[in-house]
Amino acid sequence: MSGPALRASGLGKRFGRSVALDGVDLELPEGASLAVLGPNGAGKSTLLRLIAGLARPTSGSLLIAGTPAHHPAARARVGFIGHASLLYASLSARENLLFAARLQRVPEAAARVAGWLEAAGLARVGELPVSHFSRGMSQRLAIARGLVHDPSLLLLDEPFAGLDPRAASRLAAQLASLRAAGRTLLLVTHDPRRAAEQCDRAIVLAAGRVAYAGRGDQAGAEALERAVLAASDAA
Amino acid sequence: MSVLLAILWKDLVTEWRSRDRIAAMLLFSLLVVMVFHFSLPGGVTKQTQASAPGLLWIAYVFAALLGLNRSFSIELENDALAGIALSPVDRGWIFLGKTAANWAILGAAQAITACVFALVFDLALAAVALRLALVVGLGSLGLCSVGTLFAAVAVRTRFREVMLPLLLLPLLVPVLLGAVRATTGLIETGALAWAPVQLLLVTDAIYLIVSFLVFDYVLDE
Repeated sequence: MSGPALRASGLGKRFGRSVALDGVDLELPEGASLAVLGPNGAGKSTLLRLIAGLARPTSGSLLIAGTPAHHPAARARVGFIGHASLLYASLSARENLLFAARLQRVPEAAARVAGWLEAAGLARVGELPVSHFSRGMSQRLAIARGLVHDPSLLLLDEPFAGLDPRAASRLAAQLASLRAAGRTLLLVTHDPRRAAEQCDRAIVLAAGRVAYAGRGDQAGAEALERAVLAASDAA
Repeated sequence: MSVLLAILWKDLVTEWRSRDRIAAMLLFSLLVVMVFHFSLPGGVTKQTQASAPGLLWIAYVFAALLGLNRSFSIELENDALAGIALSPVDRGWIFLGKTAANWAILGAAQAITACVFALVFDLALAAVALRLALVVGLGSLGLCSVGTLFAAVAVRTRFREVMLPLLLLPLLVPVLLGAVRATTGLIETGALAWAPVQLLLVTDAIYLIVSFLVFDYVLDE
């Protein structure tokens, strides 16, 4: 089966009585980049975790390249970089990547891991435990972890949070090169300017619904900023 | 299979570096043995030796509860559990990897506890060591399989330290029945009784298969 990189129809998710997502429709072609904005509790992270296959939708359907998101084949296409690093503090950077590569059943894992450590600028400290790493270094390693199996769809949940300006600009450049390489990106962020820099389309979620959908690039930045403010006021 | 081995490797390496889980399990089970020793009247008698297998398995269950709780709480740090759940395989393999690691770590604690237990209760376990290892291994497999499943359930609840024993202990009845009877038979006669071993084999098979099948839903958020 194949299809757009991501298609959600009437997607809903409840946690008990609380509605996290309510009837979200979304379609993202291969190579596109989408920013997801909205106030706290709007359902952004829930949307990301549903796409990653970490949770099942309560209603609607969610397909990754034509395969239900919860199917192992769909999970193989997805790279997830969450709020937290997904790393083990007592393992070294190399061991963390090797473990992730083995979980993803990456062939020739050791060689691939060496390449990713080099690309993340962490080859020199590859044998150090992650507990010794700064926030920026951990974030670079977390991104390498999310990319270790060469996913076609990359999900990023506020990856700029807590980074100093230098680390943030390095990450921005890395995301730009991933887009140039044809990866599909879905970026959750609170920052409309960051969304405009990184993505060609954007949605704003409010109370689990899509309150705005439009261009995420510089041309649509003003409308996007207004939509984010309106959603925040409503919340 | 590669995912099972990856998780086993990761759990054993992280445990080897911290040794916090095995230290807690060992200390706790040894304390239980000592408390039993001093609380039984009249020192070591035929009567206390007759109840020794039950006491040994109580120590093992308490140690396992500590270890099982810890095995998933470490996965909550940095949301590492999500990293495991993202693996593109049937999540039953993740369950088997965690169970294998729990079984190995519990086994190490059990071996040391058994040696101290034999000394304290004046039991000649050396002569039946291999058969005892088989019984303990089978009993622990049942304990760890259903224990790993419920540790994964309990880890996302507010009172996970309380929740795990509440969920697990009722399901351990057949495991404990088989394990205690087989251990008693070994200590009393030196022979392996087939009926309790059969009970252990059947219970282990059921717990492993059911847990493998439902683990996918357990990891869902």
